[in-house]
Amino acid sequence: MNEELDSQLSAMFDDELPTAECELLARRLSRDEQLKARWGRYAVMGAVIRAERGVRLNAPLAGRVSAVLVAEPSLEAHGTARVARRGGLRWWQPVAATGLAAGVAAVSILWLRAQVPLPGKPPAALAAATPVLPGTAVVRASIGSGARPGESYVVPRPRAMAPVVVPSTELANYVVAHSMFSTPVARRNLLSAFMASEPAGAGAEEALEDVKRAAQ
Amino acid sequence: MGADASDLSLVRRVQRGDKGAFDALVLKYQHKLVKLVMRYVRNPAEAEDIAQEAFIKAYRALPQFRGDSAFYTWLYRIAINTAKNAVVSRDRSPIDYELDRNSGDESYDMQGRMKDSETPEGLVLTDEIRSTVNAAIDALPEDLRTAIVLRELEGLSYEEIAAAMDCPVGTVRSRIFRAREAIDRRLREVFEGGLGRAEELG
Repeated sequence: MNEELDSQLSAMFDDELPTAECELLARRLSRDEQLKARWGRYAVMGAVIRAERGVRLNAPLAGRVSAVLVAEPSLEAHGTARVARRGGLRWWQPVAATGLAAGVAAVSILWLRAQVPLPGKPPAALAAATPVLPGTAVVRASIGSGARPGESYVVPRPRAMAPVVVPSTELANYVVAHSMFSTPVARRNLLSAFMASEPAGAGAEEALEDVKRAAQ
Repeated sequence: MGADASDLSLVRRVQRGDKGAFDALVLKYQHKLVKLVMRYVRNPAEAEDIAQEAFIKAYRALPQFRGDSAFYTWLYRIAINTAKNAVVSRDRSPIDYELDRNSGDESYDMQGRMKDSETPEGLVLTDEIRSTVNAAIDALPEDLRTAIVLRELEGLSYEEIAAAMDCPVGTVRSRIFRAREAIDRRLREVFEGGLGRAEELG
């Protein structure tokens, strides 16, 4: 052993060696058994000077610890495994985030599809908001042939499907002009129908036929 | 140089998988740790067992050691907790302890351990080491003895010793090293020569 190395070892034992030199000497200390034995004797000297009574100075404690640690995995392997686990997490994080984003997007699309009407179907919200009156129907209208689904709108269908007889001016004039030639019953029936504006029915048509027959 | 730099450099080596560096840490702190544990248990053999357990726990926990505190401070806490747990565990199962004592099982025979740790040969060697070191210190020149005692007994830094002895820090380092060399020459004879127990140190 050279004196400089031993001097460094003594300073390192006291935590008085520069960090860079510590790194180099620590490497050598971990491998050089003679240096390690000297290091151990420095510790014994300190224990004696501090009068650490009751402590066995020849205790094989370090040897026992070393023997147990032989069976232990090295911390490098442990550290590598931890880094790999952490790396795995890091690798999975964007994948998990992407999956989550895709899920949110899918739910959003499904929700939007539920809001936007399919061709031929009114939007659920609009259909619900549109009151359907008796005798009316909700129909869907499109703006031209190139209209997109979003541009369609719904209008209440007039009661054309269940037509109401609206007395025309021409018919009214006809009835008045020929009233003198119709029977009182037929005239009364027809006028009642005009006044009540009742839906067309067999009675109204019959009344109209009566008016025509009376005119002839 | 930074405080605890030498311990930290050894710790970093252990964290990189160098078990030999942990031996150096055990060698450095084993006596301090056994002395610490003996505040909780009187039996030196039991104290050594607890200290051993503390060292092994420390080794396993070393990947989590970030160097925020000094290594010995961290090790100290582990040892204290291990000792407290050992005492609680022992007090909680006095029947087991008695059974173990009477079972004849050597691994748990505390009485047997106490006897083993205090064999006449072991006691003689410890006494011989102690007297050798004390004799070597007494034989040291005054400046070397003062430097090593201030360092080991008072725990002063080189700078503080330099201030106390009115000399440069480099001189302090040299004095402490020469004191250790002088003591080690005699101590090595005890371990390697006299009783041939060098291997028991480590």
